[in-house]
Amino acid sequence: MASVTFSNVKKIYGDNEVLHKVNLEIQDKEFLILVGPSGCGKSTLLRMLAGLEEISSGEIAIDGQVVNDLPPRDRQLAMVFQDYALYPHMTVEENMSFGLRIRKLPQEEIDSRVMDAANTLQIQKFLKRKPRQLSGGQRQRVAIGRAIVRKPKVFLFDEPLSNLDAKLREEMRVELAKLHKKLGATMVYVTHDQVEAMTLASRIAVMHAGYIQQIGTPIEVYSRPDNIFVAGFIGSPTMNFMDGSLETEGELLYFKNEAMKLRVPFPLCEGAEFDRNAVVLGVRPEDVYTERKLDKNLGDMVRAKVEVVELLGHRKNVYLECGKSRLLATVPALFKTEEAMFLWFDMDRVHLFDKASGKRIC
Amino acid sequence: MTELRRSTPRFKWGIFAVHAALILACVINIYPLLRIISVSLRPGNRLISTDLALIPDGATLLSYVSVIKNTNFLLWLWNSLIITVATSLIGVILASTAGYAFSRFRFPGNKLGLTLLLGTQMIPAGMLLLPLFLMVMKLGLINTYLGMVIAYSVSSLPFSIWILKGYYDTVPRSLEEAAMVDGTTQFGAFYRIVLPLSTPALAIAFLFNFTAAWNEYLVARVILSNSAKYTWTLGLFELQGQFITQWGMFAAGSVLITIPVLMVFLYSSKWLVSGLTLGSVKG
Ligand SMILES: Nc1ncnc2c1ncn2[C@@H]1O[C@H](COP(=O)(O)OP(=O)(O)OP(=O)(O)O)[C@@H](O)[C@H]1O
Ligand SMILES: [Mg+2]
Repeated sequence: MASVTFSNVKKIYGDNEVLHKVNLEIQDKEFLILVGPSGCGKSTLLRMLAGLEEISSGEIAIDGQVVNDLPPRDRQLAMVFQDYALYPHMTVEENMSFGLRIRKLPQEEIDSRVMDAANTLQIQKFLKRKPRQLSGGQRQRVAIGRAIVRKPKVFLFDEPLSNLDAKLREEMRVELAKLHKKLGATMVYVTHDQVEAMTLASRIAVMHAGYIQQIGTPIEVYSRPDNIFVAGFIGSPTMNFMDGSLETEGELLYFKNEAMKLRVPFPLCEGAEFDRNAVVLGVRPEDVYTERKLDKNLGDMVRAKVEVVELLGHRKNVYLECGKSRLLATVPALFKTEEAMFLWFDMDRVHLFDKASGKRIC
Repeated sequence: MTELRRSTPRFKWGIFAVHAALILACVINIYPLLRIISVSLRPGNRLISTDLALIPDGATLLSYVSVIKNTNFLLWLWNSLIITVATSLIGVILASTAGYAFSRFRFPGNKLGLTLLLGTQMIPAGMLLLPLFLMVMKLGLINTYLGMVIAYSVSSLPFSIWILKGYYDTVPRSLEEAAMVDGTTQFGAFYRIVLPLSTPALAIAFLFNFTAAWNEYLVARVILSNSAKYTWTLGLFELQGQFITQWGMFAAGSVLITIPVLMVFLYSSKWLVSGLTLGSVKG
């Protein structure tokens, strides 16, 4: 299969630079997910790789070969579009074999590849139908099938599941994971759904405003976000952020604000530049505890007022007011909430950021 | 259910009104045609009668026989057919590619070009007569099929381009992008994906060109002076002599010339079925 390299890739529309010097290495057989909020440039990046969008500056290479000037047909990629883009005047079978017929493969080869893909995706029954006679989920499978039969160097997906309902999306997510395992292919996948990103990716590239903010495995991105943006974007429900300052008392380091004084049990990054008087503490909702746990490194007690409680079934979301900050804690459903509560944070899993630059400092 | 029941009667009235209007329109359209047929069937001595019967007393096909035998009617029909078919084909081919460029590519003058094309449609045909004549004359194509085809296609091209451009605009771009990633060139994507999906618009453009060229008189009048190259419009008016007009032959000729148009319409109606793009993309 293939690797992909973006070096200093820029995209400029008119005088609007939508991608700024993107550098990204995608390894062979990797399932790389580009994730980020709407308008951050994910599709643009993918379409530049596909050859559908011009590269303003920089280089894109597939398997070491620079493809900037290759038309899409010579890049040996296959793409699954958000709207599926099935050819309406062709049957499912003709849709899937289109790319192979263009390339004049022998008919037996075409037939066997189409049958294989149809079996994998369980769409044998629909081969003679037109796309308009299929449901959304079935069209989705056909679109994926059309990519598989090509045996491309790299698969590109642009939000392929976003038009499906929640249940179908979950099913297809599992199937895509299986498919990646089975084909062992390089896949680049765009989504703004961080659950898809966390569950499918070998590595995630988090994008924001035309920059890649962080690249790493799902666990890395989740447990050590490089900056406030990534911390807030990855994870659901989102991380709690509290403004405060850092103070040293003797040997010990404390995070302080109007509602709390917490000892910071870990050292800060060496060489990190930040303003001690304006830092941000990040705590994920699941790391907020409402009772002492001896097996956790819980910090000092924090007092908070309960605002709203949502029962989700197995868990409860408790929205709290703590000084000037709002907090969300997810607690067991049986937990009894009162108006005022005491909280503890799992201090091994909190994050500290510089407020001005947003960068991680611990 | 109750919702449905309550709305049904009103719905039926609507349908009734629509049908009544349609039937009225049909009658208004068909009546003159029936009269023409009736006149064409009258025996020679009763042409100017005020008889309103559709099949006149002593109905006869003599007018048909004489228009075919005594005039160059079949030749005129042949000339018209060649010029019209060539015009329609060339018009559709040029418009389909030009419309694609206007729909898909951004180039300097895209907007201006479209506006100018529309502008040419505002000029009355009569005013274009002299320039068209001069142009064809300069090309040395007076009294030729080619001269007629050029004159006709340039005048119907703008409208066809607009029709096709408008239709291409509704074909999702992602279809062509998918085709190009699948291995076609840009032209391949146009030819294999966009064109087959645009048959309704192509058919409309073809029909428009066809009827416009088929029924044209003025331009033919100035470009064709040799009666061997006459189209049927010129030929039939020839029958409108200075002293007597041969109404029987005129009517018979008129009935005959509707036959090719009718056939073209019936044949192309199957291409007019729209909604082909349905189901290509979501929803
Ligand atoms: N043809 C274009 N001309 C000008 N600006 C464009 C064009 N296409 C995209 N943009 C801009 O580029 C930016 C990135 O767009 P892009 O489609 O890559 O976003 P995205 O991350 O895929 O968002 P989404 O999740 O909504 O699909 C947007 O701000 C958009 O306005
Ligand atoms: Mg997008």
